[in-house]
Amino acid sequence: MKSKKIIKDNIEKRDFASGGEVSSKLKSKLRKLGINNKDIRRCSIITYELEMNLIIHSEGGILKASVSSEVITIESKDKGPGIADIEKALKPGYSTATDEIREMGFGAGMGLNNVKKFSDDLEVDSKVDEYTKVKAIVKL
Amino acid sequence: MSNKHSVLLKEDKCEGCTNCVKNCPTKAIRVHQGKATIKEELCIDCAECIRTCEYHAKYAETNKLKELKLNDYNVALLAPSFYGQFDRSFNPERIKKAVYKLGFDEVWDVAYAAEAISQKTYQFLNKNEGIYISSSCPVIVRLISLLYPELLDNIVPFNSPVDLMADYVKEQLSIPESKEYGMYFITPCPAKVTAIKNPLGRENSSLTGAISVDKVYPKILDLIKNEKDLKDVELKQDYQPYLGISWGQSGGENDILNNEGIIETLSVSGIHNIKKVLEELTRGNIEGIRYLELVACPTGCVGGIFNVNNPFQAKYNIKTNIREYSDFIDQDIDDFNFELDEKIKEIGAEKLDEDFVKAMDKLEQLEQEIENLPGLDCAACGAPDCETFAEDVVNGLAKRSDCIFVLRKEIGDLADQLSLLTHELPPVMNSEENNKNDNEKEK
Repeated sequence: MKSKKIIKDNIEKRDFASGGEVSSKLKSKLRKLGINNKDIRRCSIITYELEMNLIIHSEGGILKASVSSEVITIESKDKGPGIADIEKALKPGYSTATDEIREMGFGAGMGLNNVKKFSDDLEVDSKVDEYTKVKAIVKL
Repeated sequence: MSNKHSVLLKEDKCEGCTNCVKNCPTKAIRVHQGKATIKEELCIDCAECIRTCEYHAKYAETNKLKELKLNDYNVALLAPSFYGQFDRSFNPERIKKAVYKLGFDEVWDVAYAAEAISQKTYQFLNKNEGIYISSSCPVIVRLISLLYPELLDNIVPFNSPVDLMADYVKEQLSIPESKEYGMYFITPCPAKVTAIKNPLGRENSSLTGAISVDKVYPKILDLIKNEKDLKDVELKQDYQPYLGISWGQSGGENDILNNEGIIETLSVSGIHNIKKVLEELTRGNIEGIRYLELVACPTGCVGGIFNVNNPFQAKYNIKTNIREYSDFIDQDIDDFNFELDEKIKEIGAEKLDEDFVKAMDKLEQLEQEIENLPGLDCAACGAPDCETFAEDVVNGLAKRSDCIFVLRKEIGDLADQLSLLTHELPPVMNSEENNKNDNEKEK
């Protein structure tokens, strides 16, 4: 079955007040589609982490999700500093967040690591000072 | 009357306002033809609608005191929060004696089971990793199985203190089989009534029914005033579970748990706050906490709608009643049967369709419907917000024109069309007119 886009949202930088909205929206739609609970939880966590990454690190970007009967794809695309060492960024505890962000309780370096942990497949593409693209796959 | 729920509507009192519709945490209420209706599959008996309704059109059904006469033997179970109804000068012993006087042969404290489950939960948390949610409040268990089924495995898999106590007392009873007995919970809230009629995680309840606090309160108040009148009453137990009584107000559950040993706990009360916590928990944004005490009523069970005393005073009463006590009563916790009969199941009322492809089509339709709505969430259509209304339309439960803005636009379009039509003339006249115009132009 062809996959259908169910989420496409712009995320603005430092918009902490909206943090989590896309994740909740995706959860509600997946529930309407009758997706199983375990995969709903995985998607919620992945989307929340990507959402927060865009808010914390980027200059703003876009978050998309599409679904078919076999797979859920969650993608983020942003303009921003990019990631110099992707392998490092995927390790737990690695963070480039500023002290200010850490004081707010974010930037513990678990973001991308969590995305990796909860997805079945992960692609990260980035160019320093230009963009970061993340594509996370959750197989149903 | 519903055989599933205890929160019900008095039709003649409903004015058709949408206060309850807007405040319902599970979007279970709609107003159609000027009357509210509660969708049974979505109701969690939290009683928010009873709290919100200015016209007192919502109520909850419980057993009556006069039913005791139908039984040969009667047992009462008291909620920890019950003691919050009275000030400290009336100690638990005296209050319990007064309950006997209402016509009960035995009166037991749910607080015994509250102490036991705290000790059991402490052991459980030390054996299992992760965050766990208290199973005590039936509203919360139902809320999770309805809206947050992904968190069902996070609920502590034990019976609630009321069920534990009821099972325990049933075992203890020594009544000849020929005699009819009744076991009633004196309940602060309708959700406990529903938990008897329609239990989650159990096949059935050991309780016969529940009598609301407000039905017994005035009688108890009269009875406790004269200690002399209570002299002839003999209590079945001579020690009072003070620590367990703290369970009746928010934070109490955690206090008892921490009495057993240090454990990271958080207490949240009020159903709308709890929805936010559960949302954060789903997206993995709650850290460090091992145990969540979640109680639907503000300030805990003392905030239950059947209580007479205000929840703030009641919370204070409990706090002052227990403050000199810090020891568990001496009991063997293995006397209680903690295990649930079955896993708590998902209610699954949110699916648009059983079939994935059909659900996808409906989701697409739903999004189109939402786009055509004003997004004001005015509730004039009888649904709590535009999104829920759109879902009702997709499911064939509402008409588009039930939205006053859609209706206005439709009437506007119709009026435009009408005015255009009035300028249209019959073809014969029309062509003459045209010819005349054409001739004039040629000149």
